Amino acid sequence: MISVKKVDNRPLNFLERLYLPEIARGLLVTTRHFFVNLFNPKGIPTVQYPEQTLPLPHAARERTRHRLKVRADGSPKCVACFMCQTACPAYCIHIEAAEYPDNPVEKYPAVFDIDLARCVMCGMCVEACPEDAIAMDTLEIPGGVLDRNALKLGREALLRNLAGEPSLKGASNRLANDYLKSRGQA
Amino acid sequence: MMEFYEANKDLLLFAGASAVKVLVFLNAVMGFTALLTLAERKVSALMQDRIGPNRASLFGLALNGLFQPVADGIKMVMKEDFVPGRAEKLLFALAPFFALVPVLALFSVIPFGDYVMVFGYKFDLQIADLPLGLFMVLALSGLAIYGVFLGGWSAKNNFALLGAMRGAAQMVSYEVVLGLTLAGLLMIFGSAGLQDIVRAQGRLLFGWLPAWGVVYQPFAFILFLVAAIAENKRTPFDLVEGESEIIGYFMEYSSMRFAAFMFAEFVEIILVSMLAATLFFGGWQVPYLYETGFILPGGAQLPLNHYLVSAMQVGAFAAKTVFFSWFLLVVRWTLPRFRFDQLMNLCWTRLLPLALLNILITGAVLLALGKV
Amino acid sequence: MPRITIDGRPIEVEKGVTLLEAAQRLGVHIPRYCYHPKLSVSGNCRMCLVEIEKAPKLVTACSTEAADGMAVLTMSEKVKTARRDVLEFLLINHPLDCPVCDQAGECGLQDYYMEHSLAKSRFPAEDKVRRQKRRVLGPHLVLDNERCILCTRCVRFCSEVTRTSELEVMERADHSFIDLKEGRALDNGYSLNIADICPVGAWTSRDFRFKQRVWFLKKTPTVCLGCATGCLTEVHHNENTIYRVVPRPNAETNTWLCDAGRMTYKAVQAGDRLAKGVIKNGLIDLEPALRETASRIDEAHGALAVLGSPWLSVEDNAALARLAKDALKTADFSFDFSAEQGVKDGILINKDPAPNAAGARRVQAAFGGTSFAELSAKVASGAVKVLVTEARAAALLKDALKAGGARLIVFAANRSEIPAGAYATLPYASYFETPGTFINFQGLERRTQPAVTAAEGVKPLWAMVNKLAVYSGTSLRLESAQDALKGIDLK
Repeated sequence: MISVKKVDNRPLNFLERLYLPEIARGLLVTTRHFFVNLFNPKGIPTVQYPEQTLPLPHAARERTRHRLKVRADGSPKCVACFMCQTACPAYCIHIEAAEYPDNPVEKYPAVFDIDLARCVMCGMCVEACPEDAIAMDTLEIPGGVLDRNALKLGREALLRNLAGEPSLKGASNRLANDYLKSRGQA
Repeated sequence: MMEFYEANKDLLLFAGASAVKVLVFLNAVMGFTALLTLAERKVSALMQDRIGPNRASLFGLALNGLFQPVADGIKMVMKEDFVPGRAEKLLFALAPFFALVPVLALFSVIPFGDYVMVFGYKFDLQIADLPLGLFMVLALSGLAIYGVFLGGWSAKNNFALLGAMRGAAQMVSYEVVLGLTLAGLLMIFGSAGLQDIVRAQGRLLFGWLPAWGVVYQPFAFILFLVAAIAENKRTPFDLVEGESEIIGYFMEYSSMRFAAFMFAEFVEIILVSMLAATLFFGGWQVPYLYETGFILPGGAQLPLNHYLVSAMQVGAFAAKTVFFSWFLLVVRWTLPRFRFDQLMNLCWTRLLPLALLNILITGAVLLALGKV
Repeated sequence: MPRITIDGRPIEVEKGVTLLEAAQRLGVHIPRYCYHPKLSVSGNCRMCLVEIEKAPKLVTACSTEAADGMAVLTMSEKVKTARRDVLEFLLINHPLDCPVCDQAGECGLQDYYMEHSLAKSRFPAEDKVRRQKRRVLGPHLVLDNERCILCTRCVRFCSEVTRTSELEVMERADHSFIDLKEGRALDNGYSLNIADICPVGAWTSRDFRFKQRVWFLKKTPTVCLGCATGCLTEVHHNENTIYRVVPRPNAETNTWLCDAGRMTYKAVQAGDRLAKGVIKNGLIDLEPALRETASRIDEAHGALAVLGSPWLSVEDNAALARLAKDALKTADFSFDFSAEQGVKDGILINKDPAPNAAGARRVQAAFGGTSFAELSAKVASGAVKVLVTEARAAALLKDALKAGGARLIVFAANRSEIPAGAYATLPYASYFETPGTFINFQGLERRTQPAVTAAEGVKPLWAMVNKLAVYSGTSLRLESAQDALKGIDLK
């Protein structure tokens, strides 16, 4: 949609061309802000992040710190298919795959690193995941650290279930479910 | 030893008193400058509904950012002191001093109080009461151009040189207006000594109106303010160098040398504020406060101790300075910047004729009143 | 000679050519799973169904020979429907393993599904047939029966190419599955070709398994240096690491690649790769090692010999020849290697384990030198004080060296190659890291391409020789591999 804004281009009148009254008006505005904020600092909308955070609007909740979901036996749901690493536009995911000796799922991520300093929080990894293993719903906003290494998340830092998980609802991996059932863990 | 002391007692006393005055006054100015760097950021933040710096802390004590100047200073000292390979090394090193020293020297002629009696001796609350203080002010502020131009030229960087050219042109132009606006005051008060001018402003007009410069010369005050801000190279006249977007004369400077230029700018704010207070707002004068105490226009009196009076006068001067410093900050964060041609146009085709007109009218009125 | 039209385009082919091959000549790709150009036609996957005008039913292009007047349609609605149905049929029981399957990205099912089907399955996922999953078969392969579409390429490969017939289709109809015959092992020396020709993820390589997704791999065409056969290969690598070597099928030499040849890349990134010089048994920086070597050469006062190597490229052998002639000023150098050549097992593996004996002879033709026997005798007699050669070539003179007691200076890429008793060893970049020219047993010129970069400081052998010559006081003026090749007729 193109919106049209009519600009009032009338020539300046004498007082305006003098500048001084206009300058005084401008000073009045800024001075008012100055004194209002000086005597009522609570009105300033600044949030002291990271000590202080705002409740997130709904759409933003799906774009918070990543987590890897965990199966009932404590293994990651991730099967190291590399789809997230492939989809990632910021190249912030690093995976190294390994093989289970017994679990018929066969493949798991021995290393799963996300460099939040590089991440652009686009959520493409979540979209790409065929196993519903990665999610960005921790409601934690990364940042506000003093050390860059604090933004590098390893596998253990990522593995986390929310309350009510793990559930088999939506679990796409038949082999994993069979395995858990056979061990009485599902 | 004692003979020497007896023979030169007055001289020694004068030297000692001057040293104390220099130490106290200049240290006060320096401390206020450091606070001003913080104030600039805090005032701008409050004007823009922000909080401003409040993270720098000492032992976990942040005091809402009071230690920010200390942190800035440490940062500046820690930075690499870079000198371009083709720079004129000597002038490159000297330029920051040329920027800073004339400004600091100017404080010597500014009266920050009347006088104070200590052990029967009378001390003027002014470092040097020069009979031609006003001209000293104009002369030294003209020297500041050297800092700008040497800094821009010695770096051997084309952009820095262009910035220096702009700066020099701007300062030379506004120097003229600055001088001419003060001519009216000179004519009215009949003295170029700043202390004389301040004392003259202690009188009352019509029995109740303090005879401050701004009352005699309201128009000159506005011209002075404009010219002084331009001389100081601050927004809306900061096209010599704008922190983030205009390459200026000290672009090749880093570390403490860069800090010296920045510091000079903030010291100049204080200087301009003090001059405005001294010349147009009665300096250390408090309305109706005389040496013995308050004497109101109706005749009511409130006798006060001499030291209390002195303290009140110094305090009044400080308050006026703080007010004008704050005002300059507010002006900076309110107005947008001029273009260079607009800047020059304003100076030569508007301010200069107006300043001349001001002198003409002042002279005509003085003639009509038979004061000449 | 039958004249046919395919999608309206006329073509004349010899008798016996199938429709699929005829279409290939016209550049028309007919999808296929069981067909392989070097294996017998099986016709079981039904993916290559095409329509022939006036024929009542669709026919399989892979097994129908062209006959005069046939009008073949490969993109008619009927054919498209047939392909979609065949794919749906194949996918009914195919497990949803793509995330863990190594074939993903180069899988026939994925590719043809995207190209020819894109239909949603009408069969519930829970009812898929279960079969044996991951099973290790042989030293190189893993079999997953559930993913198998029973195209029988692997069975035919084992019976027709290696003639070992370890694999068979067991049971019948929808119970059938691929299995090893009882008491057999899948270790015929060519087994990794099965992982290549398997159109789905049923056969995967144990070596490559889970190492890297195939879409990350970059491909560099190069040559296998495992033996004198000189198979054309493709190196798959990513971020300076080689992950696998696969054959580059060609008419002259090879369609397949042996397991040993596929594993040659391991030496390049092995832990014992040399990046520094070795004096006796101690690692030492390159420059001091060169200085030490040069002073030993000077000490020998002309009692020097240089032996080329059939493991080195023509450029590197030529550099050694120049070192002997121009820098060391000795006549005792030999590039005469005459091991028996020819394919040993009827498939690919050569009797000569060295890749470049023919190339060394080209160097001999250009620079002269003595015969290998003469050099061997001279070394054994003790008249040679210092011998410069390549590590594996030094083994050819093992007995003579023992008898003569000459100091041995070798070039080696890996520490394990260094022969016992070597005095000094200098590193060089392997042929996965630097280009080189080789001449295989057929007399064909084969050039390697660098796939990865060598460790810092490790240079090609000709550059090392150039440096060594400078240290001993002569400049060979070898600025590039081309300089070394000057004056050599590769034909």
